[in-house]
Amino acid sequence: MRISSLGYVAFIATLLAVLSACTKRDEQAFYNSGLIYCSESNPVTFNPQLDTSSTTADATAHQIYDRLLDFDPETGRIVPSLASSWLVSDDGLTYAFQLRRDVQFHTTDYFTPSRNFNADDVIFSIDRWRDKNHPFHYVSGGRYPYFESLGLADNIVDVARINGYRVEITLKRRDSSFLANLATDFSVILSAEYGQQLQAQGFPNRIDQYPIGTGPFLFESYRKDHFIRFKQNPDYWIEQAVAKRLIYDITPRSSLRLAKLMTGECDATAFPAQTELEVIRAKEDLVLAEKPGLNIGFWAFNTQRPPFDNQDVRRALAAAIDKNTLLEAVYFDSATRAKTLLPAASWAFQSDADDTAYNPVLARKLLSDAGFPNGFSMTIWAMPVERAYNPNAAKMAELIQRYLAEVGVTATIVSYDWATFRRHLREGLHDSVLIGWSADNGDPDNFYRPLLSCGAIPSGTNRAMWCNQDYDRLLDEALATDNIEERRAIYQQVNRLLYERLPLVPIAHAFRYQAYREELQGMEINPFGGVRFGGVSKTL
Amino acid sequence: MIRILSRYSILFILTLLVLAILSFALAYLFPGDVLQNLTGIVPANEIQREALMRQYRLDQPIVFQFVHYLGNLLQGDWGYSSASGLSLREEIGIALPATIELSTYAILMAMFIGIPLGYYAGIRSYSTSDHAINALSITTYSIPVYWFALILILIFSLNLEVAPISGRISLLFDIEPVTGFILIDILLAEGIDRGVALRDAFSHLVIPTFAIGAITTASMVRITRRSVIDVKHRAYIAAARSRGLSGWRIFSQHVLRNALLPILPLMVIQITTLITNAMIVETLFSWPGIGSWLIQAIYQRDYPALRVGMLAVSTLVISLTILIDLFNRIIDPSREKYERASV
Amino acid sequence: MPQFSLYEEAFHPSPWHRTWVAFRESHIAIVGLFVLAIFVIFSLFAPLLTPYDPIAQNIDGLLIPPSWQPNGSISYLFGTDALGRDLFSRIMYGCRVTLGSGFLMVVLAMLIGVSIGTFAGMLRGVRSSIVNHLLDALMAIPTLLIAIIIVAILGTGLVNSMWAITLALIPQFVHRTRSFVRAEMKKEYILASRLDGANKWQLFVHSILPNMTEMLVVQGTLALSVAVIDISALGFLNLGAQSPLPELGAILADGLDVTYLAPWNVALPGLTIFLLVLSINIVGDGLRSALRKRVSH
Repeated sequence: MRISSLGYVAFIATLLAVLSACTKRDEQAFYNSGLIYCSESNPVTFNPQLDTSSTTADATAHQIYDRLLDFDPETGRIVPSLASSWLVSDDGLTYAFQLRRDVQFHTTDYFTPSRNFNADDVIFSIDRWRDKNHPFHYVSGGRYPYFESLGLADNIVDVARINGYRVEITLKRRDSSFLANLATDFSVILSAEYGQQLQAQGFPNRIDQYPIGTGPFLFESYRKDHFIRFKQNPDYWIEQAVAKRLIYDITPRSSLRLAKLMTGECDATAFPAQTELEVIRAKEDLVLAEKPGLNIGFWAFNTQRPPFDNQDVRRALAAAIDKNTLLEAVYFDSATRAKTLLPAASWAFQSDADDTAYNPVLARKLLSDAGFPNGFSMTIWAMPVERAYNPNAAKMAELIQRYLAEVGVTATIVSYDWATFRRHLREGLHDSVLIGWSADNGDPDNFYRPLLSCGAIPSGTNRAMWCNQDYDRLLDEALATDNIEERRAIYQQVNRLLYERLPLVPIAHAFRYQAYREELQGMEINPFGGVRFGGVSKTL
Repeated sequence: MIRILSRYSILFILTLLVLAILSFALAYLFPGDVLQNLTGIVPANEIQREALMRQYRLDQPIVFQFVHYLGNLLQGDWGYSSASGLSLREEIGIALPATIELSTYAILMAMFIGIPLGYYAGIRSYSTSDHAINALSITTYSIPVYWFALILILIFSLNLEVAPISGRISLLFDIEPVTGFILIDILLAEGIDRGVALRDAFSHLVIPTFAIGAITTASMVRITRRSVIDVKHRAYIAAARSRGLSGWRIFSQHVLRNALLPILPLMVIQITTLITNAMIVETLFSWPGIGSWLIQAIYQRDYPALRVGMLAVSTLVISLTILIDLFNRIIDPSREKYERASV
Repeated sequence: MPQFSLYEEAFHPSPWHRTWVAFRESHIAIVGLFVLAIFVIFSLFAPLLTPYDPIAQNIDGLLIPPSWQPNGSISYLFGTDALGRDLFSRIMYGCRVTLGSGFLMVVLAMLIGVSIGTFAGMLRGVRSSIVNHLLDALMAIPTLLIAIIIVAILGTGLVNSMWAITLALIPQFVHRTRSFVRAEMKKEYILASRLDGANKWQLFVHSILPNMTEMLVVQGTLALSVAVIDISALGFLNLGAQSPLPELGAILADGLDVTYLAPWNVALPGLTIFLLVLSINIVGDGLRSALRKRVSH
């Protein structure tokens, strides 16, 4: 009997087709009960207080935890979450929160709560990063980069328990962005009871590796470079659709994420690359949601290293590159040119701000005046992951390398895996870096302070390692007033200062995209934070 | 018989010893700290470092270090991965069976399709159908396996959407890895719909197996065909034909077994090429086998993992080859040397 | 009048000539040789033939389709890649790198392998059998594994991956040479030379080596196809040639990110590797058939 290889292939293909048809009919319910999300990298920890990376926030902030307050994704206003209402005193120094009742923490194989959420948990969560003497402060490293970069711990005098469901927070100085900071991804509420239990058992850092929260999903398991498994929280306090299973399929290559989205192995993906957006738009069973992003991609100089401590050198380098070309080649159509740190979506946006133009002649002149007539060599650190604010840092670095070569500066491109990269950046080993920032709340202070203030250097978010007293003073003045017009005017002064000193070159404000299959309902882009899967369901 | 067995056993042990020496030497040859390369543990301070060095006998002459290392390997302490921190034994225990499963199915496909096809081509040598089969096999044999897998993905997964492209089974299933072979583990698992899971695992297996298997099949066809043609030209076949035996009898009684014998030694090369192809294809399909694990390890410069992984894979391959050699020697003692080169 | 000789001299074709005649009979083999010759010409004369510099980026011309598609232009025959580099020039240089390094590796492996194999073949006794068995066992280690270890020790890059593949190719040559030499040593003409007083070295150079050349050529073509596939596989895995060095496997890997937008970035380099290996295999097959025919007649 003759069996040719071709016949065998045809047979297998038919078998596959028949099998897949059977699968689609019979097991739809099973496949619809679970969501698979293609994420781009490993979370560093399971507690977003400890890290500012969006990978960690995406994985944990809205899945495992809740916060006191939340942002409404449509309007950007602050809405109640675990705090059902709040009062601010007239002098702006005391905030009183009324906490929601009947909210339960997760029940998993490693923890069973004996009581509901109450004020003790709020105090535990805030004191952990605020109070250096708190038993959990130094657990898992003791770094809380978001809060450190804002200097929030210094500003809080006390977090007091008024009764089981009422907490009062007293500040030293007025801070008009305080409520916004409590609504960010990082201000999650942990379980004090779980913390005490772990401490008694002697494994305190399990609080960040085997997390317990109040959110819509329970943590089940994690395998590095492979997956994170979540299960539905049956006792979630919000009435909404929650999938039975949620799985993060960790896939670093964006072309593979797109492929999995197309075959249906992932229901939604993170960070589609710019080149893939057209493909997603063209396919009928995929949806590409788009929103102007609250982000900034920039090129920061390490101002603590010569020659980048020389303002004229920095201005020369900024004039040597053509930002429009970078926008076209790296972002294609999905970003706008950035003049300052703030994007148009922010209320403090200044459309007529000063911007450095492409001027290689000026660049050469400035360089030779500064003492480098033959240029010099430097490194450009390009981040290895995609972000909305910079989808392809390696490519941008190659383009910048060419521009710099034309003015006599030799640039070498450096990269590491993401965790090592950020560690070295914190240590200040770079000459310059291509990176960016996505806002965590709608407040402009959330751009200016973590990126360039003196206090943000130790926490690692100030990539330019820049410390300028005038800048910090202006930022504090802006926080001290509630008047929007006054704040806007101060921020315009800040923009002028940054244009003159140029510790970093703002490059682009990118759109945020979310790619998902059309079967998903309830999926929306959260401009103020990480992805949310509570409320997302799959139908056919 | 005993002599042959003992000879091969000594050879086996000797080869494993050489491999163990190589793997130990790697701890010194790899860049970085020897202690970290050997154990995967990063000492937090000097005291811990001293203690670890004493524990692993690094303060003693090299020979003692090696003996201790050997002892550790045999006891099961293989160190920890410097990238993930997990025990290497655990990680390899998950990864290796995945590759073995994929390779097994590919070899089975190659044997059950390739050998009959090769026979057919050999019997009808230099005819049109033989030329067709020959052309197909040399074409398939020349395709780079990663390109072939990419084309299959483009056609079957992305265009026709009949097969998935990553993993061994949909992540919605949480199958307990008892044996490491996904089809067996599904049958052993509880609480899930086995039919659905089996269909899902099967759909994940098809394209990677086909990609690797097709190339191995092409090799088998060529080898078998060559062997059959050689046998056909032997004197005893001519003698049988002149005695009037029918074609079918000649085939079943003489050609079949005699052509099969020379193929077996050549299987060794097929297996090593198959495993190399499997390792490459695993990266394209995110198949969690030893190939993609080792390649990840080298991207992340995880030296302990590379050291032990290399030992594990080489041991596996060499055990297989020695077994095949032994098998050949037992069933066909007339052969003195075994040609290992491919045709 | 000595202009021409009256008697026709008997024409004795040399073995090479006879092989060539037998080779020529197969049309497929000739086509294969022709294609291989084109690749060799590409490799040798790439700097003269390519229209563009293979690593020159052109920001304005990203992902241009190949010239036979409606949006393509003839000035970019195979289109451009995601950084605007001309694909045709890259592929031609890629042939040069891949085929050239493959050829180098085979020659090196042949030199080393033949030396070791001859030495092992001329040995006798238990020592040789141990060495033989060890070599056989080590021949079984997959190429990729050897490559990974060497890259881990020495680092990535084309040269380091070449060392790895050379190492993996040597055992084949050793084995073949060893069995050939051992078989030859038993033959009578060797015995005659030894009785004449030839030492081992003279035996090798004057008697065995000339008879070995055909086997070496056949083995060499086999090794070349393996070498080309392996070096491009390592380039594809980013363990060998690093971007922007044009090597066919590395070019393929570069094209992976834009597979749907610009499938020619994946199809064309792959097709090139395929045709290269196919032509080598066809020529090798043809050579082997021709040799068989010559020997059996």
